[in-house]
Amino acid sequence: MSTRVNKVLAEAGGLFRGPHRVFPLIGKITRDKWRTAVDRRHLYSYVKTERSTARTLPSVIKWIINAQRTDGGIAAYYSLLTGYSASYPEVTGYLIPTLYDFAHSAGDHSALCAAEHATRWLLSLQLDSGGFPAGLQGSGGAPSVFNTGQILQGLVRAATEAGDGDIYKAALAAGDWLVSMQGTDGAWSGPEAYQGKAHTYYTMVAWAIAQLAEISGDEKYSLAAESNMDWALTHLRPNGWPEGLNLEGHPNYLHFVAYAIQGILESAILRRRPDAVQAISKPAWLLLRKFETSKRLPGAFDHDFSAGHNFTCLTGNAQMSCVWLRLFAVNRDLRYLNAALKMNELLKNLVPARGARGIGGGVGGSYPIWGAYQPMRYISWGCKFFADALMLEQRLMRDLEVPACAS
Amino acid sequence: MRVVVLSSSVYSETACAMVAAMADAGHVPVGALSLRTWDHRTLIRKLGQWGIANSARYVRKKLIGGNSTSAALHNPYLAQFLANHGQPLRNLRHIAKLYRFPVATCSDQNSSPAVAQLRRWAPDVVVFAGGNILRQGVLDLPRLGVINVHLGLLPHVRGMSSPEWSLLQGVPVGITIHYMDSGIDTGRILLCREFPDTADCHSLEDLRNQLIAFGVRQLTDVLSSLDRGTISPQTQSQLDQDNQFFVIHERLRILASERLAASCVAAIGAEVA
Repeated sequence: MSTRVNKVLAEAGGLFRGPHRVFPLIGKITRDKWRTAVDRRHLYSYVKTERSTARTLPSVIKWIINAQRTDGGIAAYYSLLTGYSASYPEVTGYLIPTLYDFAHSAGDHSALCAAEHATRWLLSLQLDSGGFPAGLQGSGGAPSVFNTGQILQGLVRAATEAGDGDIYKAALAAGDWLVSMQGTDGAWSGPEAYQGKAHTYYTMVAWAIAQLAEISGDEKYSLAAESNMDWALTHLRPNGWPEGLNLEGHPNYLHFVAYAIQGILESAILRRRPDAVQAISKPAWLLLRKFETSKRLPGAFDHDFSAGHNFTCLTGNAQMSCVWLRLFAVNRDLRYLNAALKMNELLKNLVPARGARGIGGGVGGSYPIWGAYQPMRYISWGCKFFADALMLEQRLMRDLEVPACAS
Repeated sequence: MRVVVLSSSVYSETACAMVAAMADAGHVPVGALSLRTWDHRTLIRKLGQWGIANSARYVRKKLIGGNSTSAALHNPYLAQFLANHGQPLRNLRHIAKLYRFPVATCSDQNSSPAVAQLRRWAPDVVVFAGGNILRQGVLDLPRLGVINVHLGLLPHVRGMSSPEWSLLQGVPVGITIHYMDSGIDTGRILLCREFPDTADCHSLEDLRNQLIAFGVRQLTDVLSSLDRGTISPQTQSQLDQDNQFFVIHERLRILASERLAASCVAAIGAEVA
């Protein structure tokens, strides 16, 4: 309790240090208050916006690049109370593929530079064991399985893009450390896991290792990835709920539910496991139905997808959009694409088109901004998943619309 | 046979066409229960459905758009059912006056007063021509059941934007008349008819309008068959995957429109050949 009070006081104290943040804060709260008051959800309609994907995507990427600190790391968030946080290794790692994707699709040199700068910084952080530390830069975090997995995603991509032997070696070292930390059941627990417990959302680590298996061709990584994926699949309840998120002291935020789904799905695609794709389609479809019928996904769930939370976790929404788009790419069921298009519209509507550095183009932790997940903050991993969703949408719609026009 | 009609508004062209067609075929309803047009819940529902800009446009058209009775029908294919001495019947109350049946209004078709009104009419069949999502209390009330005209072939395309999804899924376009149950378009099927003139439709709106008119014609036949006892409902077959569809995004709607145009071109090509 006292930790929470201290946290709130520290956040609030930020306003004294930066009084210029008062007006954006009041403005955002007022806008969200007004929006939630007039918001009407109807079964036969969906949120529409005039803002195109082509216009929104650069503003989201610009937010990410603006959040890059001088060391090369990317801040975890911009708080409306305290401003930018310190660099966050975990997010910096898995933002690298997003930056490369944008650099290629838009021919944007600044995104390319940002990805390279971020990679150099990450290499400087790697521990002798091959793992990476938890927490924000300077917090003296112990090696963390999850953070190392997320960073591995970036290293694998950077190694592929740059063809750099040092990055490749760093990726292998991280992969080896992860494999050495893995239990015989396929899960990660112990001191290197969050709260010392095994978590089903660590399938994101499995995804990173599966990517490493793709570029290295080393069987041990394939086995490690599949072993974790199979362990997570045993935790899927018959209704699709991913049991074993194991977040003590936190609700089951959509962000973590989506992590579990996304990790299994992406690992299954890379490992060519249609059975796993089929299994994970169940919770993805269930969340799609929830979104389609109530026009919003709850920010957190109690158990079995029941929810009594009156906020939405924008990052989780963007992740689910990515999941639906990937499922469409796999099974060509247009209903997944349909839901993702609508989800992206909803998110475009909630991302500020303009605003000061740290605000314009930023994805809030929650909607409304005072919701339970990362309140009063624009978060870099929200921007990452939203940018991923928009780029996937662009690519898939291009593929779909071009043949239609040609015929 | 005692038939009651549920409508989303007394101005609903579809509901008016259904009632007029039914009455012409000898099935004059014992009553019609409509949502109040200017009720605040209906207005909020419409606002949510259409958005502020479209709602404002609609209100402007209604208030200063001139004589509404002389304006063209939104769905021209319903004119055949609504013709009345040169002026189309476009208000349920006018049709009720013509055929002498009562029209009641309510703010919610599931509310106690609405259910009490329905009970007083003691219907054999309720025809659903729009309104609220019906609760079990209303669904269980008529002797035979509540009938819905769905603009898609069941069990293949359940839910919303059915004509568009049919085109995108490569399923024939058509209509299904079925009893309603607690699921979305999952009730027993009375009649399933493929629409033969899809290739003649020049737009999705045109297709939808033609399908509605097609459905109205089929509805009268179903009611006659029910009256004679010559039709028996069939339980829907179970498909491997969930066949529910949701409101379609504009960009996919454009794709559906292109598919429709392609089917028109193919049909013209076949004629020329």
